[in-house]
Amino acid sequence: MKIVAVTACPTGIAHTYMAAEQLEKTAKKLGHHIKVETQGAMGIENELSQAEIDGATVAILAVDIAIEQAERFARIRQIKVPVQAALRDPEAIFHQIQGIMLKNV
Amino acid sequence: MALEHHFVCPLPNGTHARPASALEEVARGFRSEITLVNGRTGQRANAKNVLAIVGADVRFKDPCRLEVSGPDEGSALPALIAFLRERFAQCDHEAPAPGRPAGELVLPPMLRQAGAALRPGTPLVPGIGRGRLVRAGGFRLPEHLPVNGVTDVAFEHQRLDRALDELIVWYGQRLAAAGPGVEREVLTAHRAMARDLELRETLLAAIGRRRTAAGAIAEAEAHFSARLTASNNPLLAERRLDVQDICRELLHRIYGAAARLPDLVLTVESIVVAETLTPGQFLALDRHWLRGLVLAQTGATSHTVILARSFCIPTLGGVNLAGLEGDDREVVVDADLGGLVTALPATVRRYYDLEQARLSGLSRRLRQFATQPAVTADGARLEIAANIGVAGEAELAFAAGAEGIGLFRTEMLFLERAEAPGEEEQYEVYRQALQAAGHRPVVVRTLDAGGDKPLPYLSLPAGENPFLGYRAVRIYPEFEELFRTQIRALVRASAHGNLQVMVPMLATLEEVRWCKRIIAEEQARCAASGVAHDPAMPVGGMIEVPAAVFLLEELCNELDFFSIGSNDLLQYFMAADRLNPRVASLYDPLQPAFLRVLQQIVEVVSARQKPLSLCGEMAAHRRYLPLLVGAGFKKISVASPAIAGLKAELAGLRQGDCRRLFALAHESETAGAVAGHLATFPVQQAAPLIRPELVADGVVAATKAEAIKQVVDLLNISGRAADPRAVEAAVWAREATYSTGFGHGCAIPHCRTDAVQVNSLAVLRLAEGVEWGSLDGQPVRLIILLVVRESDAAGAHMKVFARLARKLMHEPFRAWLAQEKDPDVLCALLREALET
Repeated sequence: MKIVAVTACPTGIAHTYMAAEQLEKTAKKLGHHIKVETQGAMGIENELSQAEIDGATVAILAVDIAIEQAERFARIRQIKVPVQAALRDPEAIFHQIQGIMLKNV
Repeated sequence: MALEHHFVCPLPNGTHARPASALEEVARGFRSEITLVNGRTGQRANAKNVLAIVGADVRFKDPCRLEVSGPDEGSALPALIAFLRERFAQCDHEAPAPGRPAGELVLPPMLRQAGAALRPGTPLVPGIGRGRLVRAGGFRLPEHLPVNGVTDVAFEHQRLDRALDELIVWYGQRLAAAGPGVEREVLTAHRAMARDLELRETLLAAIGRRRTAAGAIAEAEAHFSARLTASNNPLLAERRLDVQDICRELLHRIYGAAARLPDLVLTVESIVVAETLTPGQFLALDRHWLRGLVLAQTGATSHTVILARSFCIPTLGGVNLAGLEGDDREVVVDADLGGLVTALPATVRRYYDLEQARLSGLSRRLRQFATQPAVTADGARLEIAANIGVAGEAELAFAAGAEGIGLFRTEMLFLERAEAPGEEEQYEVYRQALQAAGHRPVVVRTLDAGGDKPLPYLSLPAGENPFLGYRAVRIYPEFEELFRTQIRALVRASAHGNLQVMVPMLATLEEVRWCKRIIAEEQARCAASGVAHDPAMPVGGMIEVPAAVFLLEELCNELDFFSIGSNDLLQYFMAADRLNPRVASLYDPLQPAFLRVLQQIVEVVSARQKPLSLCGEMAAHRRYLPLLVGAGFKKISVASPAIAGLKAELAGLRQGDCRRLFALAHESETAGAVAGHLATFPVQQAAPLIRPELVADGVVAATKAEAIKQVVDLLNISGRAADPRAVEAAVWAREATYSTGFGHGCAIPHCRTDAVQVNSLAVLRLAEGVEWGSLDGQPVRLIILLVVRESDAAGAHMKVFARLARKLMHEPFRAWLAQEKDPDVLCALLREALET
C-alpha cells in the first residue's frame, strides 16, 4: 500500500520526529510504502506534493495541532490520530487503515 | 458634657502601633481631652498617648467610641470623624517594599507538591541559608550599670528628660530622610511612642524613687512590655520591639559606649532575625555561624544590607515575624524565591538539600574563574575591581578575584559613633586596605555623608529632599577640618601602595578645584615635614550628577580618572527615586536615554585617555554585562561575590557581538525594545550541545518533580541557564500538554525558552525509576532533556534534536544511552551520532 503521512506536535522539537520514525519503521516492517512529512520547529520537511498525495491510497495525520496546507488532503481517505498514538502502538494505526480500506472496497 | 462619636474598628489587625500613631497625630493637634473607649472591654485610653491606645487592645470589629471634651471640642470632633472615615482604615496597609516582585510568590513544582508555605519577604541579598532562628536586638541592661542609689536626683532627672527630647528630634531627622513605605511608618510609630506622655511619666517617676536613668529605662521597658504582651494579640506583642528599640536608644544616648550590650553569640548555624540591625551589630555577628538574615524593616540601600551582600549572607526584608517570638526552630531563608520557610518536613528539606547541591556546584565552577583575568571569548580584557565598605573586606575581595578596589566607601568609618574618626584611626584603616591590595589599586571615595546618610556630630539640617540636598562634596567647605583630616590620612597612607582618591557628587569645577587645593596643601604639608607619601597620588571623581556629564572635557583637565556611580546617575538623570515602586520602571538602566549618556561619557573620557570605571549596581548584573562591554567600558567595580560570575559570563561573550548589541540598544526607542535585543542576544554560541558535565549518573529522585529539577539544575551549574526556575517552568508547561515519557523507561522532557543561553542537551540516569505518566505506564530511569532557545528555534541544532528524537525510537540506541558508563565517551559518541 502507498501511504502518505504528516506528523506535528505542540513544540515541534521531539514528538514530531519520534512519530515520523515510528511510522516509517512500522510501514517497513509491515511491507508498506510510506512518505512522512514533518511539521516541526524547522517548518515543513520532506514535503508531500499534491501528486504524491493524490497517488497514495490513504493518509495518516498524526497531529496534535492544526497543520499547514491542510487543503492538500481534501480528496484523500485519511485517518487522524494523536501523535501519542503513533508512538504507543503504530501497528494499530496500520490495522485500522486496513479496516477502513476493506469497508470501502 | 463630652462630645462622642461611635464607630466599629475597621482594622483586621486591630489598633497596633501604626494606626495608633496616626490617631495620636490627629489628637495631638487639639487641646481638648480625647479618649478612646473600647466598648468590648471597657478599657479607656488617652488618644494622645500611643502606648495607651495600643494597650486598649482594640480588635477588628470591636465597638468603640471617642470622647472629646475641652475648649476646641467643636473642631476636634469633626476632624477626628473625618480621620476615622478617610484614613484610619488605610493605616493597616503595608506599603509595598522596594524590590518585592509583584503578585504571588511562585513556588517551584517540588515545593508546591510538598505543600510548603513561605512567609514572603523582599530578597535583599540573594542566596539560601538554613539554620536555627536567633533573635538579635531585644533589651537587656548591661550588668555593670547600676540601677539604684542616685544621690543627685535632679541631675538624673534632667539627663533622662533631655535624652528623651533628643531622641524625639533624632527620630524626626531620620523621618525627614526616610524613603516612603515601611521605614517611614515604623519611624513615625517610634517617634510617637518616644513622645508618649505616659512613657515620660513612667521614666521620670522611677527617678523619683531614686532609680538611676538605666534603672528607670529598664523599669519602663518591663512595664510596657508586660502590658503589650498581655494583650494576647501577636501584633501588639511585636510592638514590644518598638519599646525596646526606644529604650536601647535612650540608654545609648545617656551612657554612650558603656551601654553597648554584649554581642550576640552564635554557636550553631543560625538565621539571625531582627527588627533592625545596625552595620555595627552586623559586623559583631560571628560569620562562621551566620547563615542568613531576616530583617523586618530596612531599605535595599542600607549599609547593613550592603555589608551582608559583601559577605554573601542571604537576606530577606519585610518579613512578617508574627508568632516566631522566642522560637528557635530550624528555618530556611530563601532569598532566591523571596520567602522564609518556617516548616521543614522531609520533602521541603529534600528540595533545599538539592538547592544546596546546586549552589555549591555553581560556586565550584565559578571558583575556577575567580583567579583568572576577565577576558571575552575573543580576547578583550575587562578589569573587574571590588566595592568595599570596611578595610577587612579587601582581603575577601582579592580572594574572590578582584583586580583592585574600585570603590572603598568610607562612610562606614563615620557612622554609629559620637564623633568623627581621627586622622590616626583613618590612616590605619586605609593602610590596612592597601596592605591587602599589594601593588593593586585602591580607589578611596571621600566621605559621602549628609542627605540620606546623616551623621549626628555634623548636625546637618534635614532637607525636604535629601537626595538633592546638602551632602558629599557639598558639605566639605563647611566641615573643612573633617575633609582635611580624611585627606591627611589618605595622603599619608598613599606611601603604602597604589592609592587613588575619588570625590563623590561632583557637579561644578569650583568643587573640583577646591578639593584639589586642599589635597595639594595637605601634600605640601606632608612634604615639608618629611612625611612619606605618594606625591603623584591620582585624584578622580564620581560621575553621578548629570551636570558633570556636560563638564567632562573640563573635568578631564582637572582629574586623573572617573567612575560612574550608575545608581545615583540613573536616579538623577531619570528623575526617579529607585525606592519608589511607582516610578521603578523609569529607574531602569535599559532606558535608551541612559545608555546614550553612558556612551557619551565613554567617548569623551576615552578620547582624553583617562581611566573610566562604572561602580554602580548595573555593573554587578550579568544581564547588563554585554551592554557595558559593547559601550566600551574597560573597567567595572562590583561587590566581590559577583566577580567570579561576571568573569564566567564574560568568557562566553564576544566583543564584536557586544558592540553590535550596544549599537542596536543605543538606537532603540524604548527600554522594552532594548530588553528585546538583550533577550535574543546570543551568548556562548560556540558551546557544544552536550558536555560531560551535563550527564549525571545514579541520581536519586523520588518524584518526577525531583528528577526534572535535577536535570535542569545541570544546566544552571554549567552556566547555561542563569534562572533554572524559568527553564523548569517551561519544561512543566510542555509536560502539561502530555507526558514526555514515551515508554521503554525513557522520557524526553523539552521546551523552547530564552532562559537558556545556549541550546542544550542533558542526560540524567536515575538509580531507580520514577512515575512519569508515561505512554506505557512504566517508571522512567533515563531522562533526556532538550532545551532550545526560543529565538533560535529554526537553527542548526534543531536538526540534531530531530535526529536524536528519531534514534530514540530504536532499542539499541536507547540501551546504549542507558548503559554507557563514561560520560566523556557518552558525549563524544552522542555528538558523533547526532552531528554526522
